[in-house]
Amino acid sequence: MASQRDVKNKITSVKNIQKITRAMEMVAAARLRRAEQRIDALRPYADALRRMTRQAAQAAGAEASRLPLLKEHDSEERVGVLLVTGDRGLAGGFNSQIIRAGVRMAGELGEEGLQSSWYATGRRGVSSLSFRGYELSGTYTGFTDRPSYADARTIADDLIQAYIDGEVDRVEMVYNSYVSPLTQKVTHERLLPLSHATIAGEESEDSAGSSRDAETGPRALVNYEPDPEEILKRLIPDYVEISIYRALVESTAGFFGAQMTAMRSASENAGEIITDYTLQMNRARQAEITQEIMEVVAGAEGLS
Amino acid sequence: MARTKFPAEVLTPEGEVFSDEVEMLSTRTVVGSIGILAGHEPILAMLEPTELRLYRSESEIVRFAQAEGYLQFADNRALVLVEEALDPEALDRGTLETKLSEARSAAERSQEGTEEKARALRDIRRYEAFLAVGAVGG
Repeated sequence: MASQRDVKNKITSVKNIQKITRAMEMVAAARLRRAEQRIDALRPYADALRRMTRQAAQAAGAEASRLPLLKEHDSEERVGVLLVTGDRGLAGGFNSQIIRAGVRMAGELGEEGLQSSWYATGRRGVSSLSFRGYELSGTYTGFTDRPSYADARTIADDLIQAYIDGEVDRVEMVYNSYVSPLTQKVTHERLLPLSHATIAGEESEDSAGSSRDAETGPRALVNYEPDPEEILKRLIPDYVEISIYRALVESTAGFFGAQMTAMRSASENAGEIITDYTLQMNRARQAEITQEIMEVVAGAEGLS
Repeated sequence: MARTKFPAEVLTPEGEVFSDEVEMLSTRTVVGSIGILAGHEPILAMLEPTELRLYRSESEIVRFAQAEGYLQFADNRALVLVEEALDPEALDRGTLETKLSEARSAAERSQEGTEEKARALRDIRRYEAFLAVGAVGG
């Protein structure tokens, strides 16, 4: 059995670890709140942008499908896969579930005879993909704690360029969407080509209540500066940017949620280990005392 | 004479920067300068980087340096979506000039017709506009 001092040392080191995990849990909780606020702040902008895109797409009508980002490529050979992970770990399965989902998706694409081009945000995703021997076409790191709109734009620019140049024929994004502090859901989203259905499809959701006449009535009178097609040309890339930005922001909130949960259970586990070790230490001490008493008694008996 | 007021909102990806009743809103679209009063006909316009002015009254004007974005006016409500809307007082000339020269060199480096080029050109326009806004304000 381990000596009293050995066990005592173990208890001290577990206590230190527990202090660290507690602190990390609290930091993650504070950052989570801030990240949640950013999701809330983004929502009205994203919704309004979506409504405008829909309006412009409807006004542009058939013209819209000629835009390069809305047009599907004739044949699909290569699919861009964007994995959104975090820069840091210690967040349970947060990063690995994205990488697993991405690799699985690439496998499925492979079965269909499609190749994958990898894009990743977050050091975790970048390093584990390159460790597994995948070649990355784009890596974006260093901002996952607090992504800015400009970061999303850089990623969007690269992906749009790759799509227009024909380097990729489709772009899929895999990220952790934020459900609650305890739950993140691995979400797949097609970024490019933006289908007409994506833009127009959301219409049924928000404006199901308004009648058709109300839709067609005022729209005919709306002035466009410049033409709806021209506006759409800029709206579509913005739509892609905002989709990526939303994913980045949600992923950040999800990361802190996951880290908070992971660190909380780590602290709890540390507590359990401390209880076990304390018991062990007491037992060792008791054994020592018993031993001493027996020695004293034996000594006394020997004298008599 | 006080004009009729209408609700106006300015949104950026980082959040709402303005939401109040205003008498007039003035900005610039790709076509030209535009002023919106209550009862304006419905419009959807693409905005250029410039100074955005929101007139709470004749004398009380809220100003922003706006980046590219969109303006929608419908049902007597104005909605401005911009990538950035900064307080002109907070603009720092030095930082803007550095960013402008960075964008200029990026524009020279990048090839014609690429997204990078387009982004650099867009940045140049934005920072030039911001500098102009700062100059008027300062």
